Amino acid sequence: MQNLRQRYIIHLNNVILPSNYNNFLIYSNQNQFRMKKHMLTLLLCFSVLGFAQAQEATIKGRVVDTNSGEPIPDAQISIQESIHSVSSDTNGNFTISSSDLPQGEQVLIVEKNGYTTLRFPITIESGGNLNFDPILMEVDFAEAQSQIGVISLADDELDQDDGTSTNVSGLLQASNDVFLNAAAFDFSATFFRPRGYDNANGKVLINGIEMNKQFDGRPQWGNWGGLNDAQRNRDFSMGLSPSDYTFGDLAGTTNIVMRASQYRSGGQVSYATANRTYEGRVIGSYNSGLNENGWAYSVLISRRFGQEGYVDGTLYDANSFFASVEKKLNDAHSLNFSAFYTPNRRGRSTAITEEVYDLKGRQYNPFWGKQDGEIRNARIREIEEPVFMLNHYWDISEKTKLNTNLGYQFGKIGNTRIDNNGTNLVLLNGQESYIGGARNADPNYYQRLPSYFLRFENPNAVDYQNAFLAQQEFLNDGQFNWSNLYQANQIALNNGKNAVYVIQEDRIDDTQITANTILSSIVNENVTINGGLNFRSLKSENFANLKDLLGGSGYLDIDAFAEESIEVLASDIAQSDLRNRNRIVGEDERYKYNYEIDATVAGGFAQAQFKYRTIDFYLAGQATQTSYQRNGLFENGYFPGERSFGESEKLDFTDYGFKGGLTYKLTGRHLFDLNGAYMTKAPGIRNSFSNARQSNDVVIGLESEKIQSVDASYIYRSPIIKARLTGFYTTIQDATEIGFFFTQSIQGQGFNNNAAFVQEISTGVDKLHIGGELGVEAQVTPTIKLKAAASVGQYTYNNNPNVYYTSVDFENPLTFGDGTSKLKDLHLSGGPERAYQLGFEYRDPDFWWVGATTNYFSNAYINVSKLRRTDAFTTDTDGLPFNDYNEDTARTLLQQEQFDDYMLVNIVGGKSWKINDYFVGFFATINNVFNQEFRTGGFEDSRNADYRSLSEESRRDTPVFGSRYFFGNGTTYYINAYFRF
Amino acid sequence: MKTIKFNKIVMLLLALVVVTSCVKDDDFDTPDLNIEEPNINPADVIQIPALAGILEQSDESIVSFSETGKYVSGYVVSSDEGGNFFKQLIIQDNFENPTRGVKVLVDVSPLFVTYEVGRKVFIKLDGLAVGTANGVLSLGFANGNSIERISFAEREDFIIRSPQVETIVPKPLTIAQFSEENENLFIRLTDMQFNRNELGKTFAAEGGDQFDGERVIESCATGNSVVLSTSTFADFKGLQVPAETGSIDVILTRDFFDDFYTVYLNSPEGINFDSSERCDPAEINCGLAPAAGPNQLFFDNFETQTINTPISGNGWTNFVEAGSEAWEAYEDNGANQSLGISARCGSFNSGDASTISWLITPEIPLANANQATIEFKTSNSFADASEMEVLFSSDWDGTPENITSASWDLLADATIVQNSDPFPDWIFSGIVDLSCVENNGYFAFKYIGSGAAGSDGTYELDDIIISSF
Repeated sequence: MQNLRQRYIIHLNNVILPSNYNNFLIYSNQNQFRMKKHMLTLLLCFSVLGFAQAQEATIKGRVVDTNSGEPIPDAQISIQESIHSVSSDTNGNFTISSSDLPQGEQVLIVEKNGYTTLRFPITIESGGNLNFDPILMEVDFAEAQSQIGVISLADDELDQDDGTSTNVSGLLQASNDVFLNAAAFDFSATFFRPRGYDNANGKVLINGIEMNKQFDGRPQWGNWGGLNDAQRNRDFSMGLSPSDYTFGDLAGTTNIVMRASQYRSGGQVSYATANRTYEGRVIGSYNSGLNENGWAYSVLISRRFGQEGYVDGTLYDANSFFASVEKKLNDAHSLNFSAFYTPNRRGRSTAITEEVYDLKGRQYNPFWGKQDGEIRNARIREIEEPVFMLNHYWDISEKTKLNTNLGYQFGKIGNTRIDNNGTNLVLLNGQESYIGGARNADPNYYQRLPSYFLRFENPNAVDYQNAFLAQQEFLNDGQFNWSNLYQANQIALNNGKNAVYVIQEDRIDDTQITANTILSSIVNENVTINGGLNFRSLKSENFANLKDLLGGSGYLDIDAFAEESIEVLASDIAQSDLRNRNRIVGEDERYKYNYEIDATVAGGFAQAQFKYRTIDFYLAGQATQTSYQRNGLFENGYFPGERSFGESEKLDFTDYGFKGGLTYKLTGRHLFDLNGAYMTKAPGIRNSFSNARQSNDVVIGLESEKIQSVDASYIYRSPIIKARLTGFYTTIQDATEIGFFFTQSIQGQGFNNNAAFVQEISTGVDKLHIGGELGVEAQVTPTIKLKAAASVGQYTYNNNPNVYYTSVDFENPLTFGDGTSKLKDLHLSGGPERAYQLGFEYRDPDFWWVGATTNYFSNAYINVSKLRRTDAFTTDTDGLPFNDYNEDTARTLLQQEQFDDYMLVNIVGGKSWKINDYFVGFFATINNVFNQEFRTGGFEDSRNADYRSLSEESRRDTPVFGSRYFFGNGTTYYINAYFRF
Repeated sequence: MKTIKFNKIVMLLLALVVVTSCVKDDDFDTPDLNIEEPNINPADVIQIPALAGILEQSDESIVSFSETGKYVSGYVVSSDEGGNFFKQLIIQDNFENPTRGVKVLVDVSPLFVTYEVGRKVFIKLDGLAVGTANGVLSLGFANGNSIERISFAEREDFIIRSPQVETIVPKPLTIAQFSEENENLFIRLTDMQFNRNELGKTFAAEGGDQFDGERVIESCATGNSVVLSTSTFADFKGLQVPAETGSIDVILTRDFFDDFYTVYLNSPEGINFDSSERCDPAEINCGLAPAAGPNQLFFDNFETQTINTPISGNGWTNFVEAGSEAWEAYEDNGANQSLGISARCGSFNSGDASTISWLITPEIPLANANQATIEFKTSNSFADASEMEVLFSSDWDGTPENITSASWDLLADATIVQNSDPFPDWIFSGIVDLSCVENNGYFAFKYIGSGAAGSDGTYELDDIIISSF
């Protein structure tokens, strides 16, 4: 093998040769063995078709995949250090034509995500005509494989649904930005969120159809997990920058292209093994490419599996299927059908207290136990939501395109857990009572832990002994005991009673139809306009499903916690459905709660992009109408009549947004970029109904979020160094948040009565995101690249939002003091606010490469309890302040916890071979090489939220209801081997 | 074509991998739940009466076991399913005709999912101690001189289940038979009803109920009564006590402070009140009057009585129907103040098997009285399970021998002190209207002990005024 970066001299006919006749050079790190063939091809095909007298110079070409010979669409072709830049069309063709093309020796850059970037010198003469056909691009295995790595990491984090699953790295996979590459690959393992934005602030589209869920605004990544090979084609618009498909959002827009005609023809089989989430993954895919009859098809099948990941007991069982077929009807019309189905089951884990962590370590998961010698996890998340889409592509003219899409999705998301409240109806002279109900069977239930036995001051010998015994029991076992549950149900069965324990599955069964049409038109060489109309209709069925009776006979569908008062009978309020009193439910029946949400969203956007020699700018606007309505199918005992049954008030939101930005090109090396936006955003379904499982009540004071954002960047580009420095400032106003928890500090219900299961509804929440980002990449030698990235931000609550509490245990919503929670200037939770990276990549000409990064994280904060920051904190049950209240102690108790800084070192590398016509390669990463222990997130417990109980808690050596934390993985590996044909 | 074929093969292989899932799916079989008979030598098993004997023969208040190798066996009779028992198992020596029972304290909740009613269990004695907790025979960890719960971690070491499960036959018992030997046993009381003053109340969800709701149930056959206790954490605390009569299956124990006998239900299923005929006395219900008239038909404030002697004179008939305690005069200027000299009756620690005492006025001429009324004041001192009634008879002949055979109607509208009222307070009866009474007759103040003197307290009486216009 010779040096990879060879210089080729291409002889052209009919060309005016420059004096040194190095007409153009191709720098590439392509495979050596095809070079001769390439040269020949280039010699034969490249031609310059002479030049006319006109002053307009034209550069034309066709971009083609080296291996498949298929055209490559959406490749970016630009003249370095100029404003001239175009994309290849679906046939790989491009034309750069202008009278003000820079003259003389220039560098033409051809870029496509997933391919090795080509740069070659050309000579542009006034009125000259250059035609490059074909330009052969080679798949960049490193890039492709690192994408696989990123996606697998993203799988990790994005599939979680506990609190901190709000990271946006999945959005960033298609980016070429040095900072975002770091964020996606190396920062994601720790829930780092670029600019502190939530997942819901980024849009994910597939074939132009928005995939963010109306429920919470977040994309459901599980819906396309395992389709990695079919999702390489992505268009990513960073931040506010314009997307051709939609108005977008704060954190950017990713459009994943899953069209049969857009895949490189050929197949790939890969096998990956890892110890993070799954143990193994196998993917096979085949794409036909567009044949002579205008047909293309693509199929993919994959499986991911594992008994447990890095965290104990987290099973992984996921299959993925994808098929797409496209017919190019004629030059103007193409019709594509794509469908994917990715049923997956995951065993969940949870945040744990410091006490549990100290005893069992970060891999501990209380949710599993052995049954039949096998691991069984009590909390399984199952997602099955197949997506079908029909896409029509119409090239109305050379400059105008219309893309019309129809999407249909249905299926279910289920989350299981143990329901330990099985009861029996016992009649006493005509009165109904519900006898039974067990307790929380979790092995880490607070009453099973050592701290519980030492909760009183001055513990005695027996307390210490009990604490010791509890500790031993927890250390030696500490897992779920399935036999006990079955045994309880068997005893019940033998006595003719209902099941005590069952598995409840909380289900969301969505059926959604989406239609949209997207217009894109190049008005002239300076102006492009985009516009779209979209409509979405969702019926979301929400209910509890009785998943498993665990050997029992049936389950009595009442609320065992119903407490009657003088006005109401327990036997009435306990009913899940007053229209079906005291119903015994069997497996796969709906119980507890059952309601539908109808949601419709209709909207449109318009956008104009202007490109001039030294300045580019864009303007965009959108308008959206959103409506939600709940339809109760059960008449809940606590909320009889219309308060729970039938249709709720209809919620309507009219939202709009504007954004604009400009790029000023001081020179080709120095660019300045400025973006600004104002938009309003309807709340998600989840934050619109205060207690949707039980009632039609809507959130009081519900409003659309108002978002203002501005960012400014300086971008430096030279052949060796790429850098970006950005400052950003974003405010989000009137956000709504809902939490649910049991607390013993909800004062105001009367004397000595402060325990309740509550809904905590916060409205008018203002947040401030301010900070800067830096990314630098230096190609110091042809084989070595150094990179550095840093993000320094501050993400805080910007006001004291209104918070009210509702519960079935009290009649009217409760507020404390002035009705606010004192959150201003407290940090938002969700990953470190500061992250730094230093790294390098080495690419050997012998087709192997290796890279390493050191990442340093700091300033991550705990998710604060809002209740603790209301006046409930200072108020005793009689409504007066605690008589032992001490301001200094209070300040200490309410101090927001900041997590320790930590450093993670990641190593990545790979190698590929060509054997005959096949490619074989592997890719491996080791994350957290030094096995650093670190916290990725956590939250305060609101169970104890008043001054007195928190003071008591702080005096204990180990708190009983301590904050709970998510811990990062230790050293993990991921190895992927592939075979392409 | 070659690649296509190859591709198909690969796809087939892949499909195979997908189908042959190697992740355990959610079709788990029911685990084997059979229990083996524990390997315990019958010679090492002692019975509960023997356990009680060990404690009785000791000078210590608790006896710890070590290196005995012994077990005690019994059948579970309590259930925490309804929330009325908490972290304790009551076991008795046999499932029928039991002779002794013991309370096992264990830090486990719930217990019914493992140790259901009827389950035979063996309790390993080494490491435990026997003693008295809340007045009854108990097993658990020793902590000084008290018995503590067996820890959660060691529950299975100490409480060993036998596969044997029997139907527990409740032991028929009367209130008069309550004794230490019968504590911790599952018993059946027959011909019972809730006292008429309890009707309309819930088992344990009244404003004054703390820890336990205490409701008086009484025997129609003997008139004896006992407190039925229900935890305020019980699932059935909010049910109203039934008005009917019948049998009730309960566990006999002592109240928390070991002051009196009380019984607990496992669940409302223990109540089998199938007869709607109550055994309440007939009642006089004229309601309350707005004012008392100026003519005094009878008056006594006991100031002329001699303290610590039975009430006499002023036409009083003082009759002890059962037991040794008569209504007597007393004076108390302490915290539990009398109204000058007052009358009282109480049988606490009297040793009586049963205490019933009457204090009866002379005949009151009501036939021709215009809008007659009666007023009086009552107080109590830890009345507990004892009762006080105010009665009227127009057919009594005035002789003590015929008191019990005369018909006595209850003066239903008069307010009488309740056990829950604070002991220093004197409760005014109200101006009780007698205008619907058409005949002359006698008023009686009747004290009724529960039948177990250890559960009884004292009632006090004063300022009786009968008037008319």
